[in-house]
Amino acid sequence: MANVSVAAEWQLLGDRYYRKPDLYHPLRWKHIDLSRNKVACAPFGGPIALIRDDSKIVQLYAESALRKLRIFNSAGVPLSETIWKNPGGRLIGLSWTDDQTLVCIVQDGTVYRYTSHAELLEPNFSILGQEYLDENVVECVFWGNGVVCVTDACKVFSIADFKSKNPRPLRLADPAPEGIEELPHCVAVIEPQYTMSGNVEVLLAIGDGVVMVEEDEVQPLPLPPGDGPLQKMVVSGDGRFVASFTHDGRMAVYSTRLEKIFEYECESALPPEQLAWCGLDSVLLYWDDMLLMVGPSDEPVRYLYDEPIVLIPECDGVRILSNSSIEFLQLVPNSTVSIFKIGSTSPAALLYDALDHFDRRSAKADENLRLIRSSLSEAVEACVDAAGHEFDVSRQRTLLRAASYGQAFCSNFHRDRIQEMCKTLRVLNAVRSPEIGIPLSIQQYKLLTPSVLIGRLINAHQHLLALRISDYLGMNQEVVIMHWACSKITASLAIPDATLLEILLDKLKLCKGISYAAVAAHADKNGRRKLAAMLVEHEPRSSKQVPLLLSIGEEDTALIKATESGDTDLVYLVLFHILQKRQPLEFFGMIQARTLARDLFINYARCYKHEFLKDFFLSTGQLQEVAFLLWKESWELGKNPMASKGSPLHGPRIKLTEKAQSLFAETKEHTFESKAAEEHAKLLRIQHELEVTTKQAIFVDSSISDTIRTCIVLGNHRAAMKVKTEFKVSEKRWYWLKIFALATIRDWEALEKFSKEKRPPIGYRPFVEACIEADEKGESLKYIPKLTDPRERAESYARIGMAKEAADAASQAKDGELLGRLKLTFAQNAAASSIFDTLRDRLGVS
Amino acid sequence: MGSRGCVRFRGIYVLPIRGKKCLIIDPKLGGSLSSIIQTSLLKEHGVELRHLSAEPIQSDCTKVVFLVRSKIDLMKFICSNVHNDISKGLQREYHVYFVPRRAVVCEKVLEDEKVHQLMTIGEYPLYVVPLDEDVLSFELDLAYKESQVDGDTSSLWHIAKAIHKLEFSFGVIPNVRAKGKASVRVADILNHMQAEEPVNSPDMVVPEINTLILLDREVDMVTPMCSQLTYEGLIDEFLHINNGSVELDASIMGVQQEGKKIKVPLNSSDKLFKEIRDLNFEVVVQILRQKATSMKQDYTEMTTTTQTVSELKDFVKKLNSLPEITRHINLAQHLSTFTSKPSFLGQLDMEHTIVEAQSYDICYEYIEEMIHKQEPLVNVLRLLILFSVTNSGLPKKHFDYLRRELLHSYGFEHMATLNNLEKAGLLKKQETKSNWLTIKRALQLVVDDTDTANPNDIAYVFSGYAPLSIRLIQHAVRSGWRPIEEILKLLPGPHSETKRGRFSSSPSFDTLQGASANIDRAADGRRSLVLVVFIGGVTFAEISALRFLTAQEGMAYDMIIGTTKIVSGHNLAETFVEKLG
Repeated sequence: MANVSVAAEWQLLGDRYYRKPDLYHPLRWKHIDLSRNKVACAPFGGPIALIRDDSKIVQLYAESALRKLRIFNSAGVPLSETIWKNPGGRLIGLSWTDDQTLVCIVQDGTVYRYTSHAELLEPNFSILGQEYLDENVVECVFWGNGVVCVTDACKVFSIADFKSKNPRPLRLADPAPEGIEELPHCVAVIEPQYTMSGNVEVLLAIGDGVVMVEEDEVQPLPLPPGDGPLQKMVVSGDGRFVASFTHDGRMAVYSTRLEKIFEYECESALPPEQLAWCGLDSVLLYWDDMLLMVGPSDEPVRYLYDEPIVLIPECDGVRILSNSSIEFLQLVPNSTVSIFKIGSTSPAALLYDALDHFDRRSAKADENLRLIRSSLSEAVEACVDAAGHEFDVSRQRTLLRAASYGQAFCSNFHRDRIQEMCKTLRVLNAVRSPEIGIPLSIQQYKLLTPSVLIGRLINAHQHLLALRISDYLGMNQEVVIMHWACSKITASLAIPDATLLEILLDKLKLCKGISYAAVAAHADKNGRRKLAAMLVEHEPRSSKQVPLLLSIGEEDTALIKATESGDTDLVYLVLFHILQKRQPLEFFGMIQARTLARDLFINYARCYKHEFLKDFFLSTGQLQEVAFLLWKESWELGKNPMASKGSPLHGPRIKLTEKAQSLFAETKEHTFESKAAEEHAKLLRIQHELEVTTKQAIFVDSSISDTIRTCIVLGNHRAAMKVKTEFKVSEKRWYWLKIFALATIRDWEALEKFSKEKRPPIGYRPFVEACIEADEKGESLKYIPKLTDPRERAESYARIGMAKEAADAASQAKDGELLGRLKLTFAQNAAASSIFDTLRDRLGVS
Repeated sequence: MGSRGCVRFRGIYVLPIRGKKCLIIDPKLGGSLSSIIQTSLLKEHGVELRHLSAEPIQSDCTKVVFLVRSKIDLMKFICSNVHNDISKGLQREYHVYFVPRRAVVCEKVLEDEKVHQLMTIGEYPLYVVPLDEDVLSFELDLAYKESQVDGDTSSLWHIAKAIHKLEFSFGVIPNVRAKGKASVRVADILNHMQAEEPVNSPDMVVPEINTLILLDREVDMVTPMCSQLTYEGLIDEFLHINNGSVELDASIMGVQQEGKKIKVPLNSSDKLFKEIRDLNFEVVVQILRQKATSMKQDYTEMTTTTQTVSELKDFVKKLNSLPEITRHINLAQHLSTFTSKPSFLGQLDMEHTIVEAQSYDICYEYIEEMIHKQEPLVNVLRLLILFSVTNSGLPKKHFDYLRRELLHSYGFEHMATLNNLEKAGLLKKQETKSNWLTIKRALQLVVDDTDTANPNDIAYVFSGYAPLSIRLIQHAVRSGWRPIEEILKLLPGPHSETKRGRFSSSPSFDTLQGASANIDRAADGRRSLVLVVFIGGVTFAEISALRFLTAQEGMAYDMIIGTTKIVSGHNLAETFVEKLG
């Protein structure tokens, strides 16, 4: 049977099978001896960093005496290297953070950070506080994005987040009482995400016991008698268990509160070099040439290695790196077991077998299918799942073919499942290829998420693959293209702007809505201002484009773009920017010809910068605008309660108005305004005098007409007359004003006298109106007969309710329409109404 | 359109600042907000509600929230409030929410006044307020003056943004027709926004809004200057509708409470109002009379003869509408006290004479007399604007003379008012011959035999004058701009006609004829929509005319009206009046 060979490679631990397929064999690197180096391997198939271990005495072969930091991918392909000559003493800790920054901590506490391109990330900083600089770091324990260090004075420091801009070291509580400087045997951390407090908890094996240290608390944890001192401790991936090696050669598993759960007696009392969790199911112990896997059952599995290895814990297993290969030790997934277990008769195994028969054109294929008809979909699912867990491409293919063969007979299977798995596997196989060297298992891939994977690919400058994957998975390509463009700019110092622009545009256009401004900002940061200006030209979003233009000093263009966008807010942004950077005159010159910018500036200045606005108008020769401003100021003075009543403030008001007048007079187009200002000044003077003579503060700020009316109402006809002549008030207006003024004080006698002075230039209608409005029917009758137009007469009579007279007048006018309207007015009055009807008949109008 | 609910949801969003607080709002926002959030709801949340003014506000809340439009001049008030607190040694937490968005210039003022660092600044993205089933307002009451006089075109961006936001819910509007400088600019900004932040409309769905028509108020300043004669229009002219209601003395509405004011809501949830709001007032009076009479008749029948249960039921149903009938009879009665005044009739007469544009001298003398009689300035300005616009300005001699008389009669502070009007082109020196007569004739703006009871043309809203703005829209909807291109050229500002989105490439999607209505019909059989946006405001009479058009047989579209604000000639003219002194 074909299946036998697969299961033959498995090892049984308790009732579970384990396997350790080769991920890469041989590795691409040459002459690497892990035992001579300090090694840091990033989880999730990340890069491997090597540096010669200066705590060991090693023989130098044909190599430089200088130490080098070398970085490889998981397949051993060299990615980068740099010479290590950092001061600070011996290298104590070396590890990768979650975002694949290599953190190196040396004896004096200095932290050096490198990218996966072996570029040093500035600034370096010390993990020790200012006052502990003379202490030495002796031990480092890393997790995700943090680290805990123990010094030779047994002080504990931690950095919670390397990702933040300014990683801040924090001193935790002292594990031992003052004065006792006993160093811990071993240290382990429980990651913040698994603790109640949300802060890191550090376990230190000191003396015979263990203490748990937090930021401001130390808590001794009781160890079962006889277990201490512990030689090694390691916390499980889910933060719930601690695996440890006791002084007397036992491997013990505790809860994080150190309640013992499990124990296994090893053959050696010598502590293992490495202790690691394999998933959550077993613990690995490594001595010189033996790897021991201990599970919940009694019988462990033993692997022998004749070369040094490094255990790299993953979420679902352990990668085992040796000089020549990298393997993945994992629990065999259930679906795989059900198919390949020797003698398995599970539906999935039968389906897999059926495909084999089918390929050999054997009729047994059909027989198998019939046997499992009822659980076919379950079998298909198992094949799909097993394919996902496979690293071997041809076996993936066979399993998927079995699945798709089964699915053809299975109506209720979710079709997309196979397609999806194919997609996932294509992505996984692509990144597993040695050139890329990211050997993710499907479980790791799901935990990592595709977008993080793409982020890692672009950080590794694998843009093409990242682009294809994001395209293939239907994800936004913007992040890839953006990163590519920025990297391209950084790497292309020698390419001229125009050429580089073309190269960039060619790719940027692939992605709709990409931020050209962000790329431009990067170009600017790299000192390529001209390229930045050319790029920002292509940014469609003005709100991004304009600020960038300002920051690269393209103020004119910024102003044009802001204006084009129609967004006045952006225009203001540019205006204030220029205003801050330039001299006023220069600023005025820039905005003078730009209508929108100029008007917006004026609006702002009108509210808050009066004097500045005046400067602007003066410098641009808009004298009439200055005049308006002065005139307005004179009104503002008027608002001041001290201004009226003959106070000295009155003088300045007039002066301002006169100044406005002379400015208006400068231009021919503003003679009207100039005249008006002149009259205004004159009026203010006269009103001022009137207030002084009448001792009544009622004149200032009223109009000419109102002044005349007030004079008449006060009986001061001479003053009224004076104002009239002074301002050449027309007879027409004079009559209206006087008639209404007299009607206001109900001086009917004077009114009549006035009407007889001479033939009124506006006829007698105003007299009639004034009387009717004052409800003086009798008075109005004095004037109605004098109206020349019979229509007016008719309407006036109608208004005071004299139907007969109204009708007579209307018939004189021979206006049918008028008659009709008047009739409506008298609708309530039957008698009056009939008069109109007869008249209308007589006139012969409808 | 469900937009009311959505804005209400956002209303609560201002409140996450916990605890007791004093909410100081821009009075101009009060109205639009009150139609969205109930004051009672605010009180429940422990909010003290005040209006922003120059006077510092007295409150013992430690948290103060300002809710203001992003206007430069309002910053003064905020600053004076804060300065006042500082001088008294009061420490408070200040929050400023800008409607609809933060503005660089406002924050600059706060910085200049050294209060910026004391503020927490937020936005309250209210771009559109629904006023009725078919009317949206951008609540930009100064838009016209700001863009015409001050050159501040912020409102245009705001309008484009509001439309763009609508497009996110209703899809890209494929046809855009614009007339007037501001309108063409808005269409332009809208395209700019679409390029910056594309609305992705699914390919196969017919967009709900088929056409956007943008129209500048500048194009037609004649219509708003004429007195509106529809029921709703007249109410606005005389009683000033504010956010869908009028405030009246209680006695007018038949409630005997001395000196008390009551608010009468006016919107389409009042069935009777919905029926009569768009009709000519003459007709409304008749309808109300009929309703009252028939009610009375039913009542007499009810008391004399025996009735079946179903008849009784019908009667009771009718009785339910009694309060509405009473309300509108009261209102109509109150209105007729204004409409029967000779001065109003005279003014109507004059408006028609000016629109007819046949007797220049009569009009000129009438206006001169109004000034001499010192009639209310705004009334004078309305006629003066109407006169100047139809004559494309006044001859220099008359221009200067009337201006001088105006300054003499109303005071020299109105120099600024005149300057504003001149900048806006509403009152100017005649430089070219007027083409109003040509326009009037070509678009049949004066319809002689208008039957207001059974209208067959939009002219019924002004008893014989068909509003120019609506005529243009009528043409735009029926056949596009092309057939009236020559006339459009005679009106102020450019015009444009564009196709957008995926329709931009289809060649023969030219006219919106009734025949093609089937294609434009949205999937569920409803008529597709035309969004008509008035930049600078629209009057109730114009809205009525549009509703009349929508109700016509053979009309393929429903119309939604967007406007910077609902205006009347009165408040439009008022925005130009400068208050100095």
